[in-house]
Amino acid sequence: MPRVSGVVGHVVTFGRVLRQAGLEIGPNRIADGLSGLDQVDLTRQDDVYWTLRANFVTRREELEIFDRAFQAWFLRTPVSPFELSPPTPQSAVLRRIHAAGRPDSAAGTDESPAARGWSYEEILRTKDFGAMTSDEFDRVRALIADIAAERPRRRSRRLRRHHRGRELDLRRTIRESLGAGGDPVHRQYRLRARVPRKLVVLCDVSGSMEAYVRPLLLFVHAVRGSGKGVEAFAFGTRLTRLTRALETSDPDRALQDAARSVADWCGGTRIGASLKTYNDDWGRRALTRGAVVVIASDGWEREESGARLLEDQMARLARQAYTVVWVNPLKGHPAYEPLAAGMRAALPHVDRFLPGHNLASLERLGEVLMGIERRHAA
Amino acid sequence: MTARTFATIDDLQAGLLDASYLADRGLASVLFLALKLEKPLLLEGEAGVGKTEAAKAMARVLPARLIRLQCYEGLDVAHAVYEWNYSRQLLHIRAAQEGTVSEEELFGPEFLIRRPLLEAIETDEPVVLLIDEIDRADDEFEAFLLEVLSDFQITVPEIGTIQAKRRPVVILTSNRTRELHDALKRRALFHWIDHPSLEREVEIVRLRVPGVPERLALQAAAFVQGLRRLDLEKPPGVAETIDWAQALAALGSHELDPDLVESTLGSVLKHHEDLQAVRDAALADLLEEARVAAG
Repeated sequence: MPRVSGVVGHVVTFGRVLRQAGLEIGPNRIADGLSGLDQVDLTRQDDVYWTLRANFVTRREELEIFDRAFQAWFLRTPVSPFELSPPTPQSAVLRRIHAAGRPDSAAGTDESPAARGWSYEEILRTKDFGAMTSDEFDRVRALIADIAAERPRRRSRRLRRHHRGRELDLRRTIRESLGAGGDPVHRQYRLRARVPRKLVVLCDVSGSMEAYVRPLLLFVHAVRGSGKGVEAFAFGTRLTRLTRALETSDPDRALQDAARSVADWCGGTRIGASLKTYNDDWGRRALTRGAVVVIASDGWEREESGARLLEDQMARLARQAYTVVWVNPLKGHPAYEPLAAGMRAALPHVDRFLPGHNLASLERLGEVLMGIERRHAA
Repeated sequence: MTARTFATIDDLQAGLLDASYLADRGLASVLFLALKLEKPLLLEGEAGVGKTEAAKAMARVLPARLIRLQCYEGLDVAHAVYEWNYSRQLLHIRAAQEGTVSEEELFGPEFLIRRPLLEAIETDEPVVLLIDEIDRADDEFEAFLLEVLSDFQITVPEIGTIQAKRRPVVILTSNRTRELHDALKRRALFHWIDHPSLEREVEIVRLRVPGVPERLALQAAAFVQGLRRLDLEKPPGVAETIDWAQALAALGSHELDPDLVESTLGSVLKHHEDLQAVRDAALADLLEEARVAAG
């Protein structure tokens, strides 16, 4: 088939449109798309569509973007311009996150932590995050990063070479036996490796949690550094996946990205509905199975019918999860009792109920997560 | 043995239909491209939309040998590529008690147990290599697979590098329990299979359950489509519709009625909670809807 040079130009420009819309289209993809078009009937619109789609799209979430771009570019249909990220909500928390990101924000004071002494740090450890000045919080941040370096582990099915292993490593044994004329004198063993258990964190970012969201997300960001298999979600009135936003190694940028990707930061709460979205979209895809699930929320369900829904969804979650941990900053106050209807409904399905209002309680959370060895017996 | 070649997408679509697989234009197009461009094809979609079936149908239509690698956590080279036949090696050493056994002799092709990947690379026949549920295997294996799929060669240290004489048709399926590596996705064509429309599902049922009364096929498909709109833990796939239609046809029924649905619903819904929810609330409405749809 004679190559119409116009086609190349069209596909290259179309690739550029998709790239602007957030798809990863490199020169190789363009070349693949063109060699695909070589094989099909260019006069058939659907053939062109399927060929380019199979080459340019790599995940389901991109299908809609692709379809709109295809309509706009090849069918000349007027469509609204691409807006992948919603307009940035400049909420109070976000502004504070921005401010905290500047390294010189504490430069005005000449007291170094060392000069203030260890006891000062000790006071900070038990001070409620909500009562901290931004200066104090800056000092705590580094400490948060330290306490989240370990993760609960589980036995993998993958075998690693180990001198005290249980299973005979036949391959190595035979090889070594060659020298002894086939007598397996030195037997080699393998042992099941221990790998980090999946960790799913669902963090309430509604208005009532405002003071605690930042330290909790910093904690989650630090845990992410411990390896693969950490998924993070934010919820207020709806659920937002934060995993990608938290991928950045710089914690401040990660928090900014996270705040930007959540449309309802500091809004109301619909815990039950958010958990349902999680169970439907992610639980069904087996993310929960075998995972340690941490929910950070004060349990204030705003909807009347919410408690019932929350209870059902918690039951669903608990059936699939390895362990469910609930972190409630309010629990740090001595007079706290779980009276909120949402919290009461959720508690029967929670394995560990912990506070999360200060550094010491986050340390405790880190310890609990590390110590989780048996299902529902953390 | 040579595989058939297909000049156009229509040819392939017709061929698949002969092989009892109803592929829509989109799926037929990407399968055609996978053949022509010799690229792996990644099929994603909800459970039960026919991802695995697509690979089997391709093997029937080409015709080619279907080699299937079912992925699971902990899948390693010994189970996916090759392993040495240790007991034979030991016997061989014992048998040659007097003489000495050289290493080359012991690690020769006759002591090699070929697992799916090596089998697919080494064979002379046309092959459809189905790598099923790749999302279940762990990262290390995915990285290894990427290597195999880029060069279509496998290195066995003791023997050397084995290069594919002809590239197998590679079909990967994933249920999206986790994101796959970008590198692997870059290497493959991508296709998302949706649940079929009502008309299509009826056609599929009639194709796969020969002799099913038309009215029953329509009602069953409409009923299942209604179930998918409900909020279920595990919405039924096409495979469930086919199973159900088979069960209904075997019972000699011509139409759905409440008792019949009640007693056979277990072949459609596999979760206790889902069964309970549908029995308690939606059954009568869905049945009514299905009857209306069937006219």
